[in-house]
Amino acid sequence: MIKQPFSSLLISAALAGSLLVSTPGTLYAADKVIKIGALFPMSGPGSYFGAQDKQGIELAIEQINKTGINGYKLEVQFEDSSCSPLPATQAAKRLLEQYKPNVVIGEECSDATLAIMPLMEQAKIPFLNAGSSSIKVTEPGNPWTFRIMPNEVMQGVDIATNAYKKLNARTAVLLYENTNAGIGNAKVFSDTFTKLGGKILADIGFGRDVNDFTSIATRIAGVGKVDVIPTYTLEGQGLKITQALAQAGVTKGGGGQSIQLGTIWLPFGFEQKAGKASLGYVRIVQFDPTDKREIVRGFGQAFKAKYNQDPTHINAHAYDQIILIADVVRRGAKDAQSIRDGLAATKAFSGVTGSVEFDKTNQNIKMDTIHYMETLPDLSWKALGWN
Amino acid sequence: MSNPEIAEQPITSMANSILTSRRFWLILAAIVISLLPMIFTDSYWRTNLIVCAINVMLAIGLDFIIGYAGQLNLGQSAFYGIGAYVSTLLITKLGVPFWIAFGCGVLLSGIAGMLLSLFGVRLRGHYLAIASLGFAVITYQILLNWISLTQGPLGIYAIPPPPALRLAGLPIIEFSNLANLFYLTAGFALLIYVLLDQLVRSPIGETLTAIREDEVSAASLGINCQKWKVFAFAIGSSIAGAAGCFYASFVGTLVPDAFFITESFTILAMVIVGGMGTLIGPVFGAILLTVLPELLRGIGDLRLIVYGVAVTLVVLFMPGGMVQAARLTAARVRRVVRGAGTEATT
Amino acid sequence: MLTVLLQQGINGIVVGSLYVLVALGLTLIYGVLVQINFAHADIVTLGAFAAYFFTHAFGGSYLASIGIALVVGGALGWLINAAIFAPLRDRGSELLPLIATIGVSIMLQNAMLAWFGPIPYAFDTPYSEHVIRIGSTFFTVQSVLIIIVSTTTIGLLYAFMKFTFLGKALRAVSQDRETAGLMGINPNYLIMLTFVIASALAGMGGALLGPVLVMTPFAGTSVIVKAFAIVIIGGFGNVEGTIIAGLLVGLIESYTTQFLDPGLIDIVVFALLLLMLAVRPTGLIAEKREENV
Repeated sequence: MIKQPFSSLLISAALAGSLLVSTPGTLYAADKVIKIGALFPMSGPGSYFGAQDKQGIELAIEQINKTGINGYKLEVQFEDSSCSPLPATQAAKRLLEQYKPNVVIGEECSDATLAIMPLMEQAKIPFLNAGSSSIKVTEPGNPWTFRIMPNEVMQGVDIATNAYKKLNARTAVLLYENTNAGIGNAKVFSDTFTKLGGKILADIGFGRDVNDFTSIATRIAGVGKVDVIPTYTLEGQGLKITQALAQAGVTKGGGGQSIQLGTIWLPFGFEQKAGKASLGYVRIVQFDPTDKREIVRGFGQAFKAKYNQDPTHINAHAYDQIILIADVVRRGAKDAQSIRDGLAATKAFSGVTGSVEFDKTNQNIKMDTIHYMETLPDLSWKALGWN
Repeated sequence: MSNPEIAEQPITSMANSILTSRRFWLILAAIVISLLPMIFTDSYWRTNLIVCAINVMLAIGLDFIIGYAGQLNLGQSAFYGIGAYVSTLLITKLGVPFWIAFGCGVLLSGIAGMLLSLFGVRLRGHYLAIASLGFAVITYQILLNWISLTQGPLGIYAIPPPPALRLAGLPIIEFSNLANLFYLTAGFALLIYVLLDQLVRSPIGETLTAIREDEVSAASLGINCQKWKVFAFAIGSSIAGAAGCFYASFVGTLVPDAFFITESFTILAMVIVGGMGTLIGPVFGAILLTVLPELLRGIGDLRLIVYGVAVTLVVLFMPGGMVQAARLTAARVRRVVRGAGTEATT
Repeated sequence: MLTVLLQQGINGIVVGSLYVLVALGLTLIYGVLVQINFAHADIVTLGAFAAYFFTHAFGGSYLASIGIALVVGGALGWLINAAIFAPLRDRGSELLPLIATIGVSIMLQNAMLAWFGPIPYAFDTPYSEHVIRIGSTFFTVQSVLIIIVSTTTIGLLYAFMKFTFLGKALRAVSQDRETAGLMGINPNYLIMLTFVIASALAGMGGALLGPVLVMTPFAGTSVIVKAFAIVIIGGFGNVEGTIIAGLLVGLIESYTTQFLDPGLIDIVVFALLLLMLAVRPTGLIAEKREENV
């Protein structure tokens, strides 16, 4: 019985501790500050995104605050939105109420982003998104939500058209994770491809808990001649799929004829991890660390210096979100309303993942850095120059 | 409270009788509920309050099945999901008014609970637990895969809040206002609590307890055990259905992931941490396990590590839950007070 | 068609034998304690990471890393028994350890997240890319290794249970707790032993699963729901039943993928589970055993 007070003491100590450290890192009082709220999944499997976003954001903030912009410094507060609507709602409200940001960036998962959007609209805080591909984020359009990444329709139509016209593909097997983004992207591909005259031989969705893809590869090996296999999945399952397809002798990497088609979801370095199984993989990339532009080289070097690794597209998107905000501040924005207006008026902004210019739904319409890459036998990329 | 000391101290006895009077606690609870949104005026904490109210419903519903009827149910997440999806689909697809859709959601999750219980009457203990877990897995997978009906992972968005209440002579009560929505959900939770409290103190409650303690001798007394087990299951699962309806109209976004089987375990943890087999325990268990992760947000990445440790420690050091810990503390305080009192008089 | 059937059969058996390793531990613990260790999945994950770091950071051989994972798993099992199950044993509620281990599981997953990060590790073994083709069927050397190691382990476990005094005592305890006392063996010792064996199996399963799984701190949880199903279909605490059920679930998985849809795997598995409960609640292989709940 003597243990009772001990445990309650422990819990209250934990609670008290949590309250103490809950104040965000403050900058020097003299600086004028633009407060950026960052809603990303920091726990659970979704932290795959959050951890990388955080790296990109912190690097950008560090660089910008060396000099400041227009007398402003940037400050960021992270909140774990867990890739899911309810926790995202709680995190967004906590951020809005307690941190009172001037602008919010975030969520990767479309359903969490969609749950946050109305809250930001209500609070009149601009919300900048990079990682959610659902068309609903910008269709019909929300005056406070901006997206710098191409949406599922832009990606899917483009890939399907190029598969049909450039690769002369007539048959396809759809492979996608059963998530908002996976289903949405696969559907756009399927619609475009069949309209052009192609045929979908199998439509295979799988949960994020599927580990062994040998059975799926076996099934694909048995459906006949498959020209392309558009694959919509993240790095982890993507590796297993590519390896299994090669083992089953379906794709070029395993001596077969099929070409795997990929999205901008896969990081740079995927081919090295997948090994020779990824031979012939054709995919679009929005961020290419070997890009010769000055801004990309500088980003790559700084990232390597800070984290001792090469940046991924997720790091890059997060970095771009911050430097876009910095650009808007440079143009004179100082509060939520002016940041929103500044974002909407963005012209000729060039980030590491490409240019940004929003249409009337606040969707970025520039796709200048979306390139098609083919994986060569030495696992390097060959730019296909399709757009 | 058969404390022999009470008779010797008339003042304490009066205080005691007030403290044990259900009406007193009911009024106090109502006052606390009505004050809470005035103390927590920001929308973040009001949101947390509503989540607390929803979780309280889930926990006391589950406690009625497990703690009173002695049936280990790991399928609460399924009934929660059925309530949410049935009511939302009726509202968004067929334009059914909210309260009718609410009734259907409650009814259908109750029926689902009844069917599962009918299936499980001949199974006991862990077999029932597993059957209900299986039911929860299948329900989740159906919500996920039947995309033409449920939208699956694509999700349902912009679900409206409950319609405004227009009572003659009173201002219109809008439920897009979080304080009002809290009054609605917490009021409902309180109502369910009071009804369950009446139920467990009625002969029905005694019957259920008799079945839980010893089914064979209960049956020998002429009790139809199966009928009562199904009854308890239906009540508990329809309460989860009601919580689901409120969840959907409150969050406004519905994806199957909210009703994954881990949700069942979270609800079970609320019951255990609070104190199983008492109604008040799970109320506080639900509140603690809802508020704790939010309070821990300040410590960032360590948040869930601390949360996990806290849950483990609570179970290890307070196996009877918060209720037992509170009782022991109260007893100790009483002893100390009495000790001090005797010292003063001597 | 026949080759597809055969190929999917091979795929199913390989995955199934991995499931068996994970499910056996759950079954052993259930058999002795009538309790469920929710953190079992995380032992699998930690086993996988132990093997990964042994091979990739210290340059150890993959075969040796399986042994390392086994030891790590066993040690964790000992710890979880000592910290959670032993103190709660006399409380008489089967739910307390379940909830406590849920807490442990949350803690372990997030501690691993803090240490290892969320980016999936590429656990390559010398065997996983080497493909053997016989006729039109194929399998990797890793698959062969999985089959060999799991069969050997299961065989050893079986022999231990059948032929050694301790093993007999274990079976006795799982059938009737008082018998063990009569055999003059301290039941606490037996329970500890069960935990160590069960968790060593899980850790080893992790080392074998590592190259197969998407290796993140959440890897084990993707297997554990199926492991629960296997334990039940096989009949709680029944070792033979669990082995058959594990292979069965592996086969269901590959044939469902082939003929239906991979999204439906869990529905098929759990529908079978409910059917099983309806017609034969004691599991695939009936064992004379009092229902002690």
